[in-house]
Amino acid sequence: MPIWMELFVLMLIAYALGLAIGWAIWAREN
Amino acid sequence: MQFLRSPYLAIALGALLVFMLAAIGGRFTGPGLAAQLAQQAPAVIEKAGGGTRVEAHFRSPSGWPSRHPLLTGGEPLDETTRQAVALAVNAIPGAGGIRWSDGDALVEADEARLNPLHCQEDVQALLRARTIRFEESSARIDKPSRALIAEVAQALRPCLGAIIAITGHTDKSGPDAANIALSRERALAVRQALIARGIPADGLRAEGKGSHEPVEGLLPSDPANRRIEFEVLATEPIKPTPVDTPSAR
Repeated sequence: MPIWMELFVLMLIAYALGLAIGWAIWAREN
Repeated sequence: MQFLRSPYLAIALGALLVFMLAAIGGRFTGPGLAAQLAQQAPAVIEKAGGGTRVEAHFRSPSGWPSRHPLLTGGEPLDETTRQAVALAVNAIPGAGGIRWSDGDALVEADEARLNPLHCQEDVQALLRARTIRFEESSARIDKPSRALIAEVAQALRPCLGAIIAITGHTDKSGPDAANIALSRERALAVRQALIARGIPADGLRAEGKGSHEPVEGLLPSDPANRRIEFEVLATEPIKPTPVDTPSAR
């Protein structure tokens, strides 16, 4: 895999995790 | 900023932002990383026994800088050296999966698979004019035939995934049981020789038929019946080794 593609996959996973955690916190507080 | 109220749009924009960050980050850091790995590779390869012929190209098939090298120039090396080189290059910090230009990468590529029966014709063409000879009453391949075995291995190399039957035949002289045993020994010797030259072991089956199957049109007692026959039986699709198991192919 090209390097930029590997970067993209890792960052996308981090983004999805961040979204999930953020949503969980938001759901808690509401 | 009203449009950011919709969560799906915001998430999609976020993903797009991630993509752009990755593309820009990759554009700036990619070539540097690939060059750094490529710089370390020749010394490591030489140390592992690959000499100067083997080269590691840190590029993906589409041409982008990659941390997964394509190793070229490994054809003249034997399997253990290839394995050692693959492991050594894999051990470079930051390097990823090893691909050999003449190994499993051929299977994953979109090139048309070679018809396996073609391999049988190639081998038979080689064996039409010359035979694999053995020393008197033994299963040791004699010296001039070693070059022929190398050529047979070369001809069988594109048949990755085919199952090849090696059958030894003898003429009628001597007891039957001994003939079967001797022809089997000889077929096994040829099998070992081919394995040593890189044909995968589980694609080769050896058996001895003694004098039970003489050449069509010849009497069983004719010494021309002493031969080794190759037959391509079937093709099994090759399972390429996963990217992170560096191997000889």
